[in-house]
Amino acid sequence: MLSKDAIKLYVLGLSLLGLTAWVFFRENRMDWTDYQAEFKEFVTEKFGAERAAQVPTGIQQIWVKDLDRVDRCITCHQAVEWKGLETAPEPYRTHPKEILEKHPLTAYGCTSCHGGQGFSTILPDAHGNVEHWEEPVLGAEVSEAYLIKNSKALMEMNCNSCHRYDRETKGMDYINTAKKLVEEKNCRACHTINGRGGIIGPDLTFEGEKPTEQFDYGRLTGRHSVFAWQVAHFQNPKMVSPDSVMPNFGFSSQDAQALALLVMSWRKEPIPANYISGVQLRDVPTQEEIEKEKRMLEGEGAFFVQNKCFICHSVTSLGVDSAAKIGPDLSDAVTDVQSRFGRTLDDFLMEPTGTMSVVLATQIPLTVEQRQQAIALLKVAYQRKLEQQIKNASPSPMPTGK
Amino acid sequence: MATELISETKARSTLLVTLRDKLRLKSAWEKLTWTWRPETKREAGDAIVRNFVLHWFPAKVSLESLSWGYSFWLGTISAVLFLILTITGGVLMFLYVPSVERAYLSVKDLEFSTSYGWFLRGLHRIGAHLMVAVVFLHMVRVFLTGAFKNGRKAVGQNRPLNWIIGVALLLITLLLSFTGYLLPWDQLAYWAITVGTNIASSAPVFGEPTRFILLGGTTIEQATLIRFYVLHCFILPLATLWLVSYHMWRVRKDGGLACVEKRYEEAKKEERPAIASKTYSLLGITGGTAVDVRNVMVDDEKDKVPSSPYLTVRLAVVTLATLVASIVLTLIVKAPLEEAANPAVTPNPAKAPWYFLWLQELVTITTFTIGGFTINGALIGGIILPGVLVLAAVLWPYFDKSPVSSIGRWFPKERKWQNRIFLLIIVAILILTFIGTFMRGPFWEIYMPWQEWEQTPRKF
Repeated sequence: MLSKDAIKLYVLGLSLLGLTAWVFFRENRMDWTDYQAEFKEFVTEKFGAERAAQVPTGIQQIWVKDLDRVDRCITCHQAVEWKGLETAPEPYRTHPKEILEKHPLTAYGCTSCHGGQGFSTILPDAHGNVEHWEEPVLGAEVSEAYLIKNSKALMEMNCNSCHRYDRETKGMDYINTAKKLVEEKNCRACHTINGRGGIIGPDLTFEGEKPTEQFDYGRLTGRHSVFAWQVAHFQNPKMVSPDSVMPNFGFSSQDAQALALLVMSWRKEPIPANYISGVQLRDVPTQEEIEKEKRMLEGEGAFFVQNKCFICHSVTSLGVDSAAKIGPDLSDAVTDVQSRFGRTLDDFLMEPTGTMSVVLATQIPLTVEQRQQAIALLKVAYQRKLEQQIKNASPSPMPTGK
Repeated sequence: MATELISETKARSTLLVTLRDKLRLKSAWEKLTWTWRPETKREAGDAIVRNFVLHWFPAKVSLESLSWGYSFWLGTISAVLFLILTITGGVLMFLYVPSVERAYLSVKDLEFSTSYGWFLRGLHRIGAHLMVAVVFLHMVRVFLTGAFKNGRKAVGQNRPLNWIIGVALLLITLLLSFTGYLLPWDQLAYWAITVGTNIASSAPVFGEPTRFILLGGTTIEQATLIRFYVLHCFILPLATLWLVSYHMWRVRKDGGLACVEKRYEEAKKEERPAIASKTYSLLGITGGTAVDVRNVMVDDEKDKVPSSPYLTVRLAVVTLATLVASIVLTLIVKAPLEEAANPAVTPNPAKAPWYFLWLQELVTITTFTIGGFTINGALIGGIILPGVLVLAAVLWPYFDKSPVSSIGRWFPKERKWQNRIFLLIIVAILILTFIGTFMRGPFWEIYMPWQEWEQTPRKF
């Protein structure tokens, strides 16, 4: 009994050793290790051993916190930002430069434009044409399946996540065509899009969010996909949903594909506002404030507005009104400076002390000529103030009444 | 037989010792690997009792208890699986983030970028499924061999109590697996827990509040995830550890595995009648015989072997075999990870975890329409029937009046009908589980294994 058990023990122990080796082997021989080794060889051949030594090894990733994306594509596509591999075979090709200048990898990652599964370090999973992953790489493979001539056209769907509110975007021909069609055919007659439009058809603002399961593929021949459904529906609405009252616009297949991409791009993705094209992230002054500033710029006190003195000081006698009024009114600066600092205005402005010394040294660097201009203008302001006082002091008509 | 076995060990070790001595390897090698080996039976016993890990085994153990064919070592396998799960789970706790924002992503990371993450997760998952299956089979074995019955009237023997603890351990195992099911936070997880907790909520009076407490609200959200996480990683493993220790201690208190009972039965037959003798005690005045001592003596030498090495070696074999089998399965079966949980999209079909699919099937079967009324089967199929089964399991030992001679044997004639009824229930559960797992397709329609399901729609 014991010796039989001992044999079992040895066999099992050896199996465990074998399995451990197998797990170790599998862990250290992933798809990407082969690609990295091949890339190193490729670089050695092309640029020499020194460059090849600089090629990083191990899993590489771009973490874009703002977009909540982790893209490990560069683990295999190592040449993305290299120079001189523009014509190399994939995955060792340099990414077209122009688009990366405006969309740096660190801010956008890869999958926000290309699609695919950024987490993955295994080829089929990474390209996303696998079960349980809805966003495949929008490239040649999918384009061929749908007979789309331009293999980069599908990607425009993802670009439009940020470029949604552009009327036209450079390089996005399909989406541009679709946006034009939306205006030409006046889709808003029946559909609400971005909060504007009719109510006969469904609201399309977030059409791209509609889950795959919510479409009726019963009358669809071929692949059961949202894209196929949308294209078929644009080409002949009644064919896929017989109860639809949407007219058949006779769209060409390319137009239908473009429109399908557009509506599928209308998603509810959490994108930070600074990523969205055309969105202004500033406090916009009200119309009233703009007009007031314009008026002040035309008056005698224009100098104080131009040079931003009016942010703290009013110059009432010259019609300059500060919103904040942090500093004293400069209408009587001539006497006020004398009483506050015991120095003449001319002297003080040429060599200011206290707050003014900081302001004039940092935020409002006035030249000597500008300072002299300011002194002259402030003297005019004092003159005007005196004039206004005399005018106001003239006797008013006697009040009538009981 | 036991004596032969011991001499076999001695012969083997003598041979090895001579060999070692001749090669002059003994001292160095032994100092490195084997600091002490028992020379006598007493020392072998001490080796067990003195050791912290081994002390819950007896110093000597009967050969029947060690046989593969009686117990299939299912309890030990369950314990080994629990150990594997504790170790892999402990490591996974460093890598998994129990928040709805990060849970799914951290599991993706495990799959694709953490070193050996795919292996850890796979082994933990396979271990969990195996544990559910093995604990269930362990229960089946104990029932079929009548091992929940008390035999000879030994002090402190209470096998029915240990059976009830076993039932509780099965339920906890199911709960452990169920709570772990939610953690990846994918569609599979989310909807399995939705189905599971919806069945639970159909219980009268307590159903809704139970679901509310379990979910921490009315929907599966962050509150649910953290509750399931704490239950899964802390409370339920702690309860398991405690109950398993008690379960094992009780096996010792109950006099070992039930298969040893027949030795006492046999010894009883050999027993000579008490000798009538004179008595000088007060009792003797009333007439009769001497105090009747009917203690059954079983010859230890004849029936038992030292636990070290007979039990310990076999324990090592079982441990290794369980580990090897789990790893092989981990390498063969890919652990699924579906899309991230999405409350707005119900997968078609939405299924409970496989070990609850017989319940989901029961709910389907007991849901029927009479005229315009639909009777919802969730109460009958989901609560009452399984409730009755658990209650029956708990009470069964107290109604089992079969003779002591039927204890610890496979398919004894005396328990024929009990075993038939039990097996009928087990087979029914297995068939329903099979139907639910392999034959239910979209819209909960029956699909034959050779029939293809409808094409799953995709985005592109």
